[in-house]
Amino acid sequence: MDSQPEPVSYICGDCGAENTLKPGDVIQCRECGYRILYKKRTRRIVQYEAR
Amino acid sequence: MGYREKDSVETHNNHAKPIKSAVDKFALLPEFLKVRGLVKQHIDSFNYFINNEIKKIMKTNDRIECPQDPSLYLRYTKISIGKPVEYMEHHAEKLTPNICRLSDRTYASPIEVDIEYTVPNQTNKEYKKGLVIGRIPIMLRSSCCVLSGKDEAELAKLGECPLDPGGYFIIKGNEKVILIQEQLSKNRIIIDTDSKGRVNASVTSSTHETKTKTVFFIDKDKIYLQLNQFSKPISIMIIMKAMGMENDQEVMQMLGRDPKYGFLLFPSMQECRSEKIITQKQALEYLQGKLANLSSLRFEINKDDRVKKILINVFLAHVPVKDGNFRPKCIYTAVMLKRMMDAVLNVETFDDKDYVGNKRLELSGQLVALLFEDLFKTMNSQVASRMSKAYDKASRSTPLYFIHYMMSDTITNGLERAISTGNWDLKRFKMNRKGVSQVLSRLAFIATLGYMTRVSPQFEKTRKVSGPRALQPSQWGMLCPCDTPEGEGCGLTKNLALMTHVTTDEEEGPLIKWCRKLGVVDVEDLSGEELHAPDSFLVMLNGLILGKHTKPQKFANAMRKLRRKSVIGEFVSIFVHERQRCVYVASDGGRVCRPLVIADKGVSRIKEYHMKELRDGVRSFYDFVREGLIEYLDVNEENNALIALYEHEIPKDGHGEDNADVQKSSITHIEIEPFTILGVVAGLIPYPHHNQSPRNTYQCAMGKQAMGNIAYNQLSRADTLLYLLVYPQRPLLTTKTIELVGYDKLGAGQNATVAVMSYSGYDIEDAIVMNKSSLDRGFGRCIALKKQIVVKEIYSNETSDRIVRPQNEPRKQALDADGIAAPGQIVRRHDILVNKQSPRNKKDRITNPMALKDCDYAPSNVSYKGPEGETTVVDRVMLYSDKDNKMCVKFIIRHVRRPEIGDKFSSRHGQKGVIGTIVQQEDFPFSEEGICPDLIMNPHGFPSRMTIGKMIELLGSKAAVSSGRFHYGSAFGEPSGHADKVEDISRTLVKHGFNYSGKDLLYSGISGKPLQAYIFMGPIYYQKLKHMVLDKMHARSFGPRVTLTRQPTEGRARDGGLRLGEMERDCLIAYGASMLIYERLMLSSDPYQVQVCRQCGLLGYYNHKLKTSWCSMCKTGDSMSSLKLPYACKLLFQELQSMNVVPRLKLTEY
Repeated sequence: MDSQPEPVSYICGDCGAENTLKPGDVIQCRECGYRILYKKRTRRIVQYEAR
Repeated sequence: MGYREKDSVETHNNHAKPIKSAVDKFALLPEFLKVRGLVKQHIDSFNYFINNEIKKIMKTNDRIECPQDPSLYLRYTKISIGKPVEYMEHHAEKLTPNICRLSDRTYASPIEVDIEYTVPNQTNKEYKKGLVIGRIPIMLRSSCCVLSGKDEAELAKLGECPLDPGGYFIIKGNEKVILIQEQLSKNRIIIDTDSKGRVNASVTSSTHETKTKTVFFIDKDKIYLQLNQFSKPISIMIIMKAMGMENDQEVMQMLGRDPKYGFLLFPSMQECRSEKIITQKQALEYLQGKLANLSSLRFEINKDDRVKKILINVFLAHVPVKDGNFRPKCIYTAVMLKRMMDAVLNVETFDDKDYVGNKRLELSGQLVALLFEDLFKTMNSQVASRMSKAYDKASRSTPLYFIHYMMSDTITNGLERAISTGNWDLKRFKMNRKGVSQVLSRLAFIATLGYMTRVSPQFEKTRKVSGPRALQPSQWGMLCPCDTPEGEGCGLTKNLALMTHVTTDEEEGPLIKWCRKLGVVDVEDLSGEELHAPDSFLVMLNGLILGKHTKPQKFANAMRKLRRKSVIGEFVSIFVHERQRCVYVASDGGRVCRPLVIADKGVSRIKEYHMKELRDGVRSFYDFVREGLIEYLDVNEENNALIALYEHEIPKDGHGEDNADVQKSSITHIEIEPFTILGVVAGLIPYPHHNQSPRNTYQCAMGKQAMGNIAYNQLSRADTLLYLLVYPQRPLLTTKTIELVGYDKLGAGQNATVAVMSYSGYDIEDAIVMNKSSLDRGFGRCIALKKQIVVKEIYSNETSDRIVRPQNEPRKQALDADGIAAPGQIVRRHDILVNKQSPRNKKDRITNPMALKDCDYAPSNVSYKGPEGETTVVDRVMLYSDKDNKMCVKFIIRHVRRPEIGDKFSSRHGQKGVIGTIVQQEDFPFSEEGICPDLIMNPHGFPSRMTIGKMIELLGSKAAVSSGRFHYGSAFGEPSGHADKVEDISRTLVKHGFNYSGKDLLYSGISGKPLQAYIFMGPIYYQKLKHMVLDKMHARSFGPRVTLTRQPTEGRARDGGLRLGEMERDCLIAYGASMLIYERLMLSSDPYQVQVCRQCGLLGYYNHKLKTSWCSMCKTGDSMSSLKLPYACKLLFQELQSMNVVPRLKLTEY
């Protein structure tokens, strides 16, 4: 892993804007003030088993 | 229903065919449900509380006084409830139900009051508007809810499912329903026999102030009153005298002229006389001596007053005593006595406690009102006591402001606690009920609906009486005859039928006015003699005697006319009771009623043009009620009505055919639709009227466990556990109820092609043989969504957990750079979801909590707890702060499951079964068209269960797939065209090249030869039930043990052992397999090596250093023996010793 991690961004549950969070931040969308944020889907390659 | 009208040509001897004059009233039903919703009773009741009741409660408790100085007071002038908001850091934030569900909050609104209060040494009053005294949880879709009046698009925007019925609360993110509670009606005389076989008349009086029970009973021919406040039963004549009826003759007259009553009362009079009680004063003195010793009341100065107060406030508390006028109470007592004596003379006049008309359903609004009243009073007394404490404080630097002592916690917390635990513990009302509210089940959409219509019983479930459990004829159309649980709650827990409405309280004032106008003579103006005059009926309003009327039928008809003209409320019931010679007018809440079409002399008032207007959308259900075409009848008033099932079945007067005993002119009402006697859950069953009755009951229980769609917002919900079907379908054979409740939009099953035949040996005992290729195609495939919450804790010393970037460690492969697992990642059991660390020091004060070093933290990772060996995927990860402002991470973890052997399936006819074997499609039988069944069901399921409905479903579905038109199987639907007849279905089948009986020629998949018999094959709607092998499978060889007893743990969750219980042990003893017992009960459980002293028989110990055993009792190691004991046995010895019991082991040579 590289030394300079790019910040993880989160998606607002209401307006869909991307937000970054620092430790200690209030969990709230900066655009609309909605208080539920979602993590973005992983960017790694995942192989699922289809049975 | 357009096609119906064309073929409705009247044939003389075909009753089933509708005649031309019959109007198809089905369209009323969707209209009714549109305006009313399925859970209108809950919402109505809550709205009534929010809009009316709360104001009444405020009005009766509107003044708080300072105990020391009554001129210091606070008065509430207005109370209102706003829209749901939450206060976050000094600003209000609007709440929507979905936000509350997702972030574990309570969906509640502030209660705002306007107050005025006095301040010492100030002449003018202080005012404050909009003071918040607490937050009250809001019922979804009630008038205060943000969802009320929203259309589908607006609901979708709020993240809400339009098909969700509402009617529940959201407390800390959990959906809670306050169940409908069934109770005996209040303020009504119930004549009954008690456990000793005595005739018994009881009234439970309930007013805003008190709740009391008054019981009259006959013991040895004498009539007594039993009241909590009196230590002994009191002769009824003494009570009459104490209320001022000194004249025995007047009492006699009040009962009526018939000497039979006189004979019955005579012994009581004699007893009264033998006690030498003649005047009111003597009676009161006598009663004084009989007062129960209630120490709390000792302080009252005047004992004479106390008896009078009891007579006013406790004895028949609901009958008002105005200015000391006891006459209404005397008359009421006389009426009670007369009813009792009638029961003695004629057994038929006993009341049936199980009769639905004698019951009231208590709804959420009333229950929340009780809770609120209690908490409001508590808060007021708290304010008063805080004020008095402040008043007593010598130094009064600041003036005493009432407003400073108002706190909003009492009501908020009290309401929240009661609704979330379900414990209604109200000392003020002597109420202590548990399980009033329950978590709303979201297993299936139907389960949710079923919860909203459930009626929980008043009796304890342990009672072994059959009466309350039996199906009551009066339940017809009000409570579903099918939907009840099996087992202990059978018949006690009921469900409302489709069209049932539960009334809310209505204003009595206008009713009384109208009654008077229509010629009801006031009781006050009557002499005792006139009370029961032969030509008159008593008029009772909500359990109170209003007066009498000489032409009861005329009066009742006039009142009904007023109701049909909407002059008085639509839910007012007018019931003429011929035998009791009473007219009962009721406007109280909690009565069950249902709408019926009014018929004049058997002719429906609804004509075709009304229905056309309805179809065109210019007429609503409400218009039908307002114009007197439809009215609501409660259970009592149904007794005055003659209800025809179908209009076309009403015989022509004079030459009616098989039901000529009913005169057309006597029919007063017509049912809207017969299938509405069933409830929501039973409405899913196609052709239920062709099934054996218990099968329908079983299906009602199973329909609630079926997997399918939960709601439109199911994928954005965050329930602890959610089962969804991957490819849900709507049933090919539907019912009208299915369409009405939206089950066709949120189905819970799939149309499987079923072959009814035997195949392999793996289909015995209801097991089904499954086609492997069907499973590959997605049949029965389901998604299990599980929730896991991680809280970033904040500790008392202001330190907090931290979530950090993971190093390259095992089990942390799912984590992102932020230390939280990302959606889309595969997680297995014990994989880490959050890389969390907790401070090592959580208690002591730390100067700078932010500057802790890495070494001050210990890892406290949160790992995934799921089934072993399964691949599951993180579906969603949500971040939010809870109410204490702690950061929370919610994981929704998805597991897609394919059916496996042992998974449970069921059709809609109470026919459940597990998969016995999964067979390759190549080996499955197939038909000439190449149709291959999805599953094979053993034909032995049919003969004993008699589920003919399932057979017709198969036929109907087969016709449906071949013709491309959904078929119907509504209950009792054949005559009205809501259920396809077998004859018609057969015709369709033949038209499409099938056999009329639904049988097909199949070829064996194994040999390729045609099967010997024709096989009954076609689609049946199958539900996958939530019981799956994966969640139940459990086995262990060795594993964890309990620390205390060193025995294996219990239960699957703790990887426990399988217990060899006492009955199994008995078998082994009987068989004589002693070594097996030894092995099972000790060696494989908790063997323990002990040292026993042969001298004293007590346990010693082994000294490992000296390699000797030692008895610490005898202080010697001479006679020690070593042996094996179960550890639990050693534990028992030690426990006994600790209780001063010495167990000694006696050893003998073996």
